[in-house]
Amino acid sequence: MMGTVLVFGETEAGEPAPGFWEQISTGRQLCEQTGWTMDVVVVGYDTGPAVRAACSSGATRVLVVDDSRLDDPWPEATTEVLANVCNELNPDAIVMPRSLLGSEVSARLAFRLSIGMAMDVMSMERDDEGLVVTRPVFGGAATASLRISGRPWIVIPRKGAFAAAEPVAAPSAEAVPFASGLDSRTIKTTPLTHERQADTGKDLEKARVIVAGGRGMGGAEPFRLLNTIADRIDGAVAASRPPCDAGWVEPMLQVGLTGKTVAPDLYMAVGISGATQHMTGCSSSRVIVAINNDPDAPIFRMASYGVVGDWQEVLPGFLEALSDGQAREIT
Amino acid sequence: MRIVVLIKQVPDPLLPVSELTVSPDGEKILGPENVPPVVNGYDEQAIEAALRIKDSWDGECEIIALSAGADFVIEVFQRSLVETDNLVLVKDDSLDTSDPHQLSRVLGAAIQHLGDVELVLGGRQASDWDHGQVPLALAEHLEWPCLTLARAVRVDGARVEVERVLSNGYQLMECGLPAVVTVTSELGELRYPTMQMRLRARRRRPTYLSLEDLQVGADIDPEWRTLGISMLEETRDCRFIGPDDGAEAGRQLAALLLEEGAIASIQPREGT
Repeated sequence: MMGTVLVFGETEAGEPAPGFWEQISTGRQLCEQTGWTMDVVVVGYDTGPAVRAACSSGATRVLVVDDSRLDDPWPEATTEVLANVCNELNPDAIVMPRSLLGSEVSARLAFRLSIGMAMDVMSMERDDEGLVVTRPVFGGAATASLRISGRPWIVIPRKGAFAAAEPVAAPSAEAVPFASGLDSRTIKTTPLTHERQADTGKDLEKARVIVAGGRGMGGAEPFRLLNTIADRIDGAVAASRPPCDAGWVEPMLQVGLTGKTVAPDLYMAVGISGATQHMTGCSSSRVIVAINNDPDAPIFRMASYGVVGDWQEVLPGFLEALSDGQAREIT
Repeated sequence: MRIVVLIKQVPDPLLPVSELTVSPDGEKILGPENVPPVVNGYDEQAIEAALRIKDSWDGECEIIALSAGADFVIEVFQRSLVETDNLVLVKDDSLDTSDPHQLSRVLGAAIQHLGDVELVLGGRQASDWDHGQVPLALAEHLEWPCLTLARAVRVDGARVEVERVLSNGYQLMECGLPAVVTVTSELGELRYPTMQMRLRARRRRPTYLSLEDLQVGADIDPEWRTLGISMLEETRDCRFIGPDDGAEAGRQLAALLLEEGAIASIQPREGT
């Protein structure tokens, strides 16, 4: 029988979760290397938009698990659902999203099935014994290559490592409902309420431009200047760990090993030294700009452009030039 | 109540990339010899979560820190030793592995060996391999419920409730005990051990367990194999914007980023 690759379609309020098209791209690459076909399972509640995306992904089959209990993230229940889907489809590989939910569900499923999982995959190649992948370790300071052999291979692509796939011209598959099989008597955890955070600005993970501040900002107040700049260049504000630990900014803004992983067009690091802990979260950005008064700061080794200087002098000049740039655009 | 906190030593993540090297066998990352490892940051927060439960616990509450590995720098665990009632180390050469399944089997056996454990706390992930798998695999192994990414943990009778951090807010989740809970950095500030705690811990030594004590075999067939690690020479050729005058450098930087397309659009200033 022909092998299959199963792409797990996580949803957020019915929409495909960020990274879905990168998963599809990963799935297509696996299919090219193996000659297998691709299926997508969409899991969530009121999943219309995500199902439409899945149907135009080039998948052979699209399964839909639509259950009101899956409206909010519920890792244990989602693990059960995916285990049920795997029982039915018996996939040879599963492509999971690099989200909180996706990582957790993958780890639990991998243990249940006694298989390895490959997280943060940057590249992959099939060989006689399994799938050889490369992934960053120690905050992106190094690359490990490792092999997973037991099937299904669980592959979690690293953000930005696989270019987002394009939808196919005509829908390739029809959506087929699939019962969640959730049995509340056997589920051990219970979600109670879900408070969505007040809107604190742009979604970091979707931003094309990010202005980030570090320990060198010295306090909460200077982040207002970063906000002003971010607003002008249609960007989002982020931070390394120290400003979050010190309470200068919301923990949600943290980029790095203990925060979010981002890969924008432009990442401006202000007063950030470039510890491994931080760089892992931003090293895939297309352009990295470092502004730091320490010429030996490790961040300059990872930066495309650097200014050795005090941000209190550099940033006002930067803002001023933006206004000039705008004036030129208008005239 | 008996709480176990999972802890792990990792190379200091605040080291710059340039100070790290690959071990001779090509399978591990090493920090410089003169810089000791640190306790994984999230694990320290898991200890803090345990201490907070103990603070509010009416009755006896014992906190045991548990780690499994091939080798430990005991001094690095000093603070954990001070803050907890016991430090238990499972030591075996074969535990020089980052295979989360084997580690979770070993930790699970240690937890069963200790007995009467009602709550296991751990950090959400470790800063070396960044897997975040061990507590989850441990819960699967013990067949205990697992709640993750807690910024607050409350134990009430036979249940545990957590505030679980999401990318857009948080949710409350609960489950029965015994359970595994992972803790995230939003938990907040750590305490410093009091003089009283230090004094009490002065003569305390870790308790060692072997795989034989636990009747766990070394992993013969790991589910994944490291083939090699190479340091990334992922440096970029940094183009420095020259002028000593900071403001001028800022202006030139903006012009450059506009020209090369990194800044795609400029929004109108507020009020203009």
